[in-house]
Amino acid sequence: MTNPFSLKGKVIVQCGGTGLLGRELVNGLGQAGATLVVGTRDPTKFGPDLERAREAGVEVQVEKLIVSDEASVNAFRDAVLAKNGRVDGLVYNTVSRPMKGERPHADEWRDSMETNATGLYLTLNAFTEVMAKQPTGGSIVNISSMMGMVGPNMANYEGTGISLTPCPDYFFHKAGMINVSRYYASVYGTKGVRCNVVSPGGIFNPDSPQPDAFLEKYNKRTMTGRMANSDEMNGAVIFLLSDASSYVTGVNIPVDGGFTAK
Amino acid sequence: MNSPKGKTIWITGGAGYLGTPTTIALDQCCAKVLCIDLPGKAAALIKEANLQRTVPIELDVNDPATLPAAVADLIAEHGAPDGLAHLTVASSVGHTLEDLPAEAFQATLDRSLVPTFVLCRELAKSMQATSGGSIVLFSSMYGLVPPDKHAYQEEMKPNPIDYGVSKAGMIQLARYLAMHYGPDGIRFNCIAPGPFPNPKAQAANPDFVKTLNQKTMLRRIGRNEEMLGPVLFLLSEQASYITGQTLSVDGGWTAW
Repeated sequence: MTNPFSLKGKVIVQCGGTGLLGRELVNGLGQAGATLVVGTRDPTKFGPDLERAREAGVEVQVEKLIVSDEASVNAFRDAVLAKNGRVDGLVYNTVSRPMKGERPHADEWRDSMETNATGLYLTLNAFTEVMAKQPTGGSIVNISSMMGMVGPNMANYEGTGISLTPCPDYFFHKAGMINVSRYYASVYGTKGVRCNVVSPGGIFNPDSPQPDAFLEKYNKRTMTGRMANSDEMNGAVIFLLSDASSYVTGVNIPVDGGFTAK
Repeated sequence: MNSPKGKTIWITGGAGYLGTPTTIALDQCCAKVLCIDLPGKAAALIKEANLQRTVPIELDVNDPATLPAAVADLIAEHGAPDGLAHLTVASSVGHTLEDLPAEAFQATLDRSLVPTFVLCRELAKSMQATSGGSIVLFSSMYGLVPPDKHAYQEEMKPNPIDYGVSKAGMIQLARYLAMHYGPDGIRFNCIAPGPFPNPKAQAANPDFVKTLNQKTMLRRIGRNEEMLGPVLFLLSEQASYITGQTLSVDGGWTAW
């Protein structure tokens, strides 16, 4: 039996690859055999990670991508097709967090929606059309968050030294992402395009660890008693991109240590 | 990669239509597989598919009274498992909702939820002593949504209420047990399959299959080999941060 989880021979496009989660995805998808194209705002920022991936034997193509700019999205799509001829999978991991502070401004909200809502729409539109024309269809995985499923538990933050109130835009666009994924799953279902969501819980950042007071509170609100490691999203994303999930569409998989199951 | 490579896995109902491809896939990656099914079924599958690492076990896992002793015997002989995929079902057959005897409803719960709880508790006890594990229970789309009355032709009886209630219960069993055994490194999740009628049912009701097709976003019923990926994934270390969840494998049935 061939490995149903293998991404060998599949062209996978990953939007956003320089963050904590994105860097691990690059390695994970690459090691699963994908021909990987990463679209990122500033390809020069990708330097050290690219080297790290190449040392691990993963070949990655990097292209500039501004998801809120329709011309940039279309140019990115055309570059991917020119080099690879097709697209079998899309991982939308781009996020921008322009909202700051206790009383964020409407300008910041609009800025957030440009990337997080309009950018998602432009990217999904561009690539679903490509996939729908291919006889083998394709698979889309949108990276949402448990914050797209539940409100912030303010008790997690009180007295921890984390001063910023969680900003509302994130809870709006991550929730919207979950339901717009069902939309694309339905509209493109007959064209062999599947669309699903992975919703991570809190991820431990070893480079800039969360305060101990926060960890102590947060960990107790999970079933596993700990935050996620940054590579623990890879399995769900690979599963959803691969042929192992051929009858899975329109779902949201929370990878959150049980945070939203209680 | 995403498989429970080198592990010992138990699969109940592993020789049935839905379980067979999963059992075959487990046989190829696991150290040992216990295929638990009705008398003769597992042995026949092992012979037919030439399985190398699978042991046939004849055990009624729907009987809570005999389960603890039977599980203890299996662990004594084969060691503690690293994972369980629990596909066995119980259901009333042939009644309309109006004439369903209370005893038949009760029997379904007694032969599904109660033994599943007992089985999970016994296995969790043995997994606490090792290094944790992963248990995958089987719910159904009918544990999430009711059967559509309008989809059934006149002579057919809709999927019974006792079945759906027992499958809804599986989802909460998984959540409750995930919370309780989380600190021990034991994960519990549910799979909620959509329409996977077996070939006999497909042949008997071709028009009904057409209706089922139209009720999914992919406009087709599931094939039994499409269940092995979700099961192997949730049993594997690649799902190490997923617990208490229900994964629908239904072609989008419950997403619109």
